[in-house]
Amino acid sequence: MNPRFAWARQLAAFAVFLSVWQAVGHAGWLNPIYAPTPGQIGAALIELFGSGRIWTHLEATFGAALAGLALGVVAGILLGVLGSLVPFVAELLEPVMTLLNAVPRVVLAPLFVIWFGIGVASKIALSFILVAVLIFFTVFTGIRQVDRKLVERVLTLNGGRWALVRHVYLPSVAAWVLGNLKVAVGFAFTGAVVGEFVAASRGLGYLLSFAQSTFNSALMLALVLLIMVVVLAIFAIAGRLEKHLLRWK
Amino acid sequence: MSYGGEPVLEGASIVVGEGQFVSLVGPSGSGKSSLLRAVIGLQQPLEGTVEREVAPSEVAILFQDDALLPWKTARDNVALGLTLKGVRRGRALEQADVWLERLGLGSFGHRFPRHLSGGQSKRVALAQVLAREPKLLLMDEPFASLDAIVRTRVIQDVASLVEREHISVLLVTHDLEEAISLSDHIYLLSRGPRAHVTRDYPMPLPRPRDPVRARTHPAFAALYEKIWNDLSHEVDRV
Ligand SMILES: Nc1ncnc2c1ncn2[C@@H]1O[C@H](COP(=O)(O)OP(=O)(O)O)[C@@H](O)[C@H]1O
Ligand SMILES: [Mg+2]
Repeated sequence: MNPRFAWARQLAAFAVFLSVWQAVGHAGWLNPIYAPTPGQIGAALIELFGSGRIWTHLEATFGAALAGLALGVVAGILLGVLGSLVPFVAELLEPVMTLLNAVPRVVLAPLFVIWFGIGVASKIALSFILVAVLIFFTVFTGIRQVDRKLVERVLTLNGGRWALVRHVYLPSVAAWVLGNLKVAVGFAFTGAVVGEFVAASRGLGYLLSFAQSTFNSALMLALVLLIMVVVLAIFAIAGRLEKHLLRWK
Repeated sequence: MSYGGEPVLEGASIVVGEGQFVSLVGPSGSGKSSLLRAVIGLQQPLEGTVEREVAPSEVAILFQDDALLPWKTARDNVALGLTLKGVRRGRALEQADVWLERLGLGSFGHRFPRHLSGGQSKRVALAQVLAREPKLLLMDEPFASLDAIVRTRVIQDVASLVEREHISVLLVTHDLEEAISLSDHIYLLSRGPRAHVTRDYPMPLPRPRDPVRARTHPAFAALYEKIWNDLSHEVDRV
């Protein structure tokens, strides 16, 4: 088999799978409460976009995820750099971060709802904490592993402290953060959607919990599909960005 | 010179005259690298002094590992050596191009280090330090990682460049042929700890000199034999 046409075979297999699923559902062999047909899922998707009610939810989820991502990356870098520069800060931060890293951080979602209410703040907080811990460890361990030879090279070219930061430390930190960008994006959306799922009045996570409470599995699967597509699209953008900025690798 | 325990080097007195090419050979671990690191100021000697008649910014060092910044192109790496010396960026880039050209890398300036071969990367590192117009060039086994042909070519280029620019050189090497064919003077370091200079040999081969032709000079074999015996004696000593 020609490996170049793997995608064509995958597509064909997927089409066969969908057709069989549709046919079996049509024949009445599937309980629509558990397993709606692809046609029903498609109809649910079309209804979401056709009625235009999806936009406010997409906006809410995107807003929370991107805000959490941005704040989390900034805080993670600042804390990571501070921790590497000031031993006292490292002593305080490391146990807290290790603890936060050890538990699945989404368990904080109900607590954040109590603290920050059911509005967007609790979703941003969850996204933020997921991303910030990841980036903190990326930067904190990364700075310790900066290539000693590069540091000595800049020193022997009469580079001072500032030159070291600018030409060695900053690019190294940027490389590690970019290398983890996809994971961070995934975390940010997980935080937003889980936060909405727990308590919210808007967002994809809210729609999911609505679909669950009304036993609307066609809507549920339509949303799962939509979330997958959204995250994959953002992965693709993050991947392009990473590839361009890390083209020296 | 010491790292806390017994002194690594003791009484290692080496003189590099202006425009002279001096090599330092000796057993592994005798402190050759430590000595170079002390001269460039990466390490403080416990006692004793490093006397330089040149300013710190006029001393350059090359290691076995080129340590080019991976996120900068060859051209930017060379220019960095100049901007860190206070040259403004536009001028630094011009000079970088001149030196890359001189080292036969005119069309490789835009490449990142990952996309350079061992020999090309070595030449970029050379351009980086030579563009700074150093008075003293320190080299710590810089050619050890290159394969034989590339190595010979790079050595020829280094020899002619330092001769032309009148740069003083202190080379640490494991390779006696390399040391004899390049040097005006060779120092032999004893086995450490407390390593010291046990012998030193003036090299009678005439200048200007091609390091490949030098190997066929009538005096070469006898010099090699003599220094080799002394070096083996140091390595085998218990
Ligand atoms: N950073 C260091 N800390 C402690 N000991 C070191 C350090 N660097 C080198 N040494 C020791 O100093 C001695 C000389 O090392 P080095 O200068 O690298 O020798 P050479 O270059 O001649 O092989 C060795 O015994 C080595 O183990
Ligand atoms: Mg050494």
